[in-house]
Amino acid sequence: MRSIYRELRFLSRDRAAILWLGLAFVITLLAVTAGLYEVQSQRSRLMQLLQADRSDRRIVTEKHNDWGSIAYHSFHLTFDAPSPLAFAALGQRELLPWKHRIRMLALEGQIYEADATNPAFTSIGRFDFAFVASNLLPLFVIFLLYGLRSDERAAGRFELLVATAGNGGHLWMTRATVRLGLLALCILSPLVGAAVGEGSPPHLVIFAGSAVLLHLVFWWIVSNEVSRLTQWSSPVLLTALIGLWLWFAVLSPSAIHTVIERLIPLPNGSEILLTQREAVNDAWDLPKKTTMTAFTERHPQWRGQADINQPFEWKWYYAFQQVGDQVTEPLSQQYDSGRLARNHLTTRLSFLAPPMWLEQTLQSLASTDVGAALSYEKSIRNFHAQLRAFYYQKLFEDQPFTAQALEQRPEYSKAHLH
Amino acid sequence: MMNPLRIAADEWRLWYRSRLAMVGLAAVIGLLAGTATITALRVHTESKDRTEGQVQADEHFLTQPDRHPHRMIHYGHYVFRTPAPLAIFDPGIDALTGDAIFLEGHRQNSATFASAQASTNLGGFGALTPALMYQLFVPLLLIAFGHSVILRERELGTLPTLLAQGLSTSTLVAGKMLALVGLITLLLLPALLVLFFALANGASAIVSLTVVLSYALYLLVWAAIIMLASLTSRHRSWALGVLLGIWFSWTLLIPRLGATITRLRIPTAGKIEMDLLMQEDIRRAGDGHNATDPAFVNIRTELLAQHNVERVEDLPVNIRGVVAEASEAALTTIMNRYANTRMRLEVSQAKAVTSFGWLSPPLALSAASQTLAGTDLATHHRFLREAEKLRLDFVQGLNRIHAQQLRYQDDIDRSRNTEAEKRTRVSAESWSLLKKFSFSRAQANDRISVAFRYWMMLIAWVAGIAVACGLATRRLAP
Amino acid sequence: MNTPLSTDIALEAKQLMVVRSGQVVLQQLSFVVEKGQIFALLGGNGAGKSTTLLTFLGFLPPTAGAAYVQGLNVEQHTREVRQAIAYLPEATTLYTHLSAQENLSYLLTLAGRQIDRAAIDKALDTVGLPTRAHAQRLDAYSKGMRQKVAIALALLRETPILLLDEPTSGLDPVAIDELNTLVQNLAAEGRTVLMVTHDVYGACQVADRIALLHNGSLVGTFSASKGAPIDTNTVHTAFKEQTVR
Repeated sequence: MRSIYRELRFLSRDRAAILWLGLAFVITLLAVTAGLYEVQSQRSRLMQLLQADRSDRRIVTEKHNDWGSIAYHSFHLTFDAPSPLAFAALGQRELLPWKHRIRMLALEGQIYEADATNPAFTSIGRFDFAFVASNLLPLFVIFLLYGLRSDERAAGRFELLVATAGNGGHLWMTRATVRLGLLALCILSPLVGAAVGEGSPPHLVIFAGSAVLLHLVFWWIVSNEVSRLTQWSSPVLLTALIGLWLWFAVLSPSAIHTVIERLIPLPNGSEILLTQREAVNDAWDLPKKTTMTAFTERHPQWRGQADINQPFEWKWYYAFQQVGDQVTEPLSQQYDSGRLARNHLTTRLSFLAPPMWLEQTLQSLASTDVGAALSYEKSIRNFHAQLRAFYYQKLFEDQPFTAQALEQRPEYSKAHLH
Repeated sequence: MMNPLRIAADEWRLWYRSRLAMVGLAAVIGLLAGTATITALRVHTESKDRTEGQVQADEHFLTQPDRHPHRMIHYGHYVFRTPAPLAIFDPGIDALTGDAIFLEGHRQNSATFASAQASTNLGGFGALTPALMYQLFVPLLLIAFGHSVILRERELGTLPTLLAQGLSTSTLVAGKMLALVGLITLLLLPALLVLFFALANGASAIVSLTVVLSYALYLLVWAAIIMLASLTSRHRSWALGVLLGIWFSWTLLIPRLGATITRLRIPTAGKIEMDLLMQEDIRRAGDGHNATDPAFVNIRTELLAQHNVERVEDLPVNIRGVVAEASEAALTTIMNRYANTRMRLEVSQAKAVTSFGWLSPPLALSAASQTLAGTDLATHHRFLREAEKLRLDFVQGLNRIHAQQLRYQDDIDRSRNTEAEKRTRVSAESWSLLKKFSFSRAQANDRISVAFRYWMMLIAWVAGIAVACGLATRRLAP
Repeated sequence: MNTPLSTDIALEAKQLMVVRSGQVVLQQLSFVVEKGQIFALLGGNGAGKSTTLLTFLGFLPPTAGAAYVQGLNVEQHTREVRQAIAYLPEATTLYTHLSAQENLSYLLTLAGRQIDRAAIDKALDTVGLPTRAHAQRLDAYSKGMRQKVAIALALLRETPILLLDEPTSGLDPVAIDELNTLVQNLAAEGRTVLMVTHDVYGACQVADRIALLHNGSLVGTFSASKGAPIDTNTVHTAFKEQTVR
């Protein structure tokens, strides 16, 4: 304990170390603030959208009074609201959609619409806590630790210090502990502060904090071992450590990415849309019976009501939309399972690149990872299926339209996500 | 004046004799070669896929059977953007924007299936490209090599010896700078190779040359700042720390902070918000499927008056087609208004972010590089606009066929009367009105003149640091 | 052979052989330093003088043979050995961003000692550092003043043994005299001093015994006889003969 106090006092006179620590704190604070702001704005935008979405549907209901038209014109907003920890890792929400407006038409034609952010932003990348903790934290560890031994060596103090302390290992250990302890404090205190404000579940915050500490310890070990095993001068040491950072933070993830894309090919996305479009458009020219047979295979309960007598009937129209989805199903399942497999493999291989591992971990704790985006997509499919079930009953049983019956129409809610 | 060259040669010999330096140099050149190969292969596949996709889409459209022209409007068409030849050097935002658009009546779809959406979660940096290597990692190598050019002489105590020989400080600094410039030239060779390859694939020679010059200018900024640090620091560790700090803020901090600040300053509504707002306007403009929609009463009375008839059935044209054309035009005006607003906002956001290039040269270079390569936001917008032009062209062409070749009576009877329905089908030959889509990027001169704006930032940096170096050189003393 | 248990022996090198990166730096080096003695290792550049000190401190494990401090094998008892030794490296630079007082208080806590400000000031006075400089940062010091702070550290450690590496290099004649007096006073208190130097005159002036080192081997020893210092000329001649050979 006394040695910790001694090194704390010693550190308080080291301007370079204070500068790095201060910088780490300020940057983390900025990142967390930016994350909080973004999450707030996503929430308030979502609130406005929900309202606009409801009033849009109300207008449709006022204008039309048959189930078919109402189903055709009514859009439903689905959404994946930011989790209480999303501010720390905004993750894939930048790239993958977290809100969608869908209607009763073939889902495959709608679900890949992206509400994309300006690609000029996306290409630069996010400035959030996860970025700081996974990519910048290693640099701070390196800057704080690289000269620990070599600077003393260059000043001719190394032997004196070790001889005076009796045991060098203990001295370097204490110095590093003090520096990294303060660094951890600088990085984690903004996170914890914001998490308390956001009301994030404590266990998630503890997991996140532990993951960050684990990452910090990894870079501690790396920096320590390299400077312990070599007699390199400070500049060489620093260059070598930056090289290792490049390897783990940039090159390995990129290599892993390339390998995964090769290992798990995906069907071309536009192929799904093309197939779907052909199926839906061809249906206009196909004998109605063909469409209805394909439809009732999936929905045998409407077999009795599947005769179409008019050139145009809504139930036939929605049936061929559904059949369009059925035709695309193998492709879209392949696309989904491919993305899932890529995600699994990435998670597994991320141990090879600790910064990537941390980013993955934080995103999965914050439900902003690819997995979360995929389960949101699944929730859209479930909700769309519910909508279909609701309208099919009205259309096939030829129920008259009433405002009361419409109130039974499913609404998308958070519950769909789980 | 052989002296600067002698000094540079001495520096080169030192680097050549250092095993560590050679290992680092080999590693970076290997990485450049690796990323160049991977990027080139990827772009090649994409290019092939999209060209084939376009051929297929054209064929699909042209081989549709005889049918009602409005059905073709809903059948729609796909257009693809083939990658720019220079995308093998700098793919820019290509992976983020989606490269195919579905064109149909009454809607402006966004480009879908950006390849980044299906890719693995990469973490901080994304896929490595030659451009990114030059922007971020070659400067690190320059720092590792260059931070000690002057300091080494100072720390070893050879600086007084050199100056005592009658060597002027400016000759010394010129020589050391020459050493760095030589290193930069060597490092630019892989880029030249990639650009030659792009040239063979149809890139403009003058643009390719400008790309190389941009990167040379950018690396010169680094050489200058490295020289300044080496001139003004007392210890190598200090110089190295300062330079890494600069690298860190130029490449990682300022761009991301700039983007975050811009998001706060210039917020944009998402697509869904825009759609909802647009929906209001569109409702007011009327539903073009319904010729009796009150919004089109005017067209009807004008048309009747013009042809001097009482009933729409007696008109020489099919009013449904006329209304469809008028409503598509009105709708497109509204949609274009929203699309233009959105694009304008995106451009002003991009401009605001790039203006941080005055603080961070990598940001300025990246803007210049994407502009020159034709992989920037402006090119993406150009693609969207050209696609929209094609969409409107074939949709209105089909609407005119609808108005001129279909009888109104058949048209309204077709959902009840099978014979009438048959008469509303027009021959498949008409589908050849679809124009071939081939996306053309902005002219070389235009791209260069836009890139010149970003050059100004780099030139300002070089000039500023050069002045500081000049002052430090005059003060250089052992 | 048994470890000598005699408490009169402070330092002992036994058949020391040290190989560093393939080169033999010390070979067959044996000598004994008795308690209270001032022992000087004399030799030219690369003779192995500093290596010998580092071996006694446990920084360089001997390839063969062993070093003993107060009867303890250095390799096995590094920690205890270091606690018994105060070490003054050549060309020491203590922390330049700290004052003399701060340097000493930091390094002494590092050695596990609690020493108050008064004792520190007293030691700084003893080594002849002007009082007004005590609270000044070391970057304002001359080389001699910095060396004095390092010596003060060695004093304050209050260890029975001092290892000094070229303690007089870079000092002016007055400071050298002061240092010599200081070292002799310490020896008179019963402390053992092992110093390394290439300065024949300085060594003869202060040492009780001198060992002449060349290429890692002992090539001659000289002892002071009662009251009279070692004869400079004898040592000088031997130095020249042995090293020029």
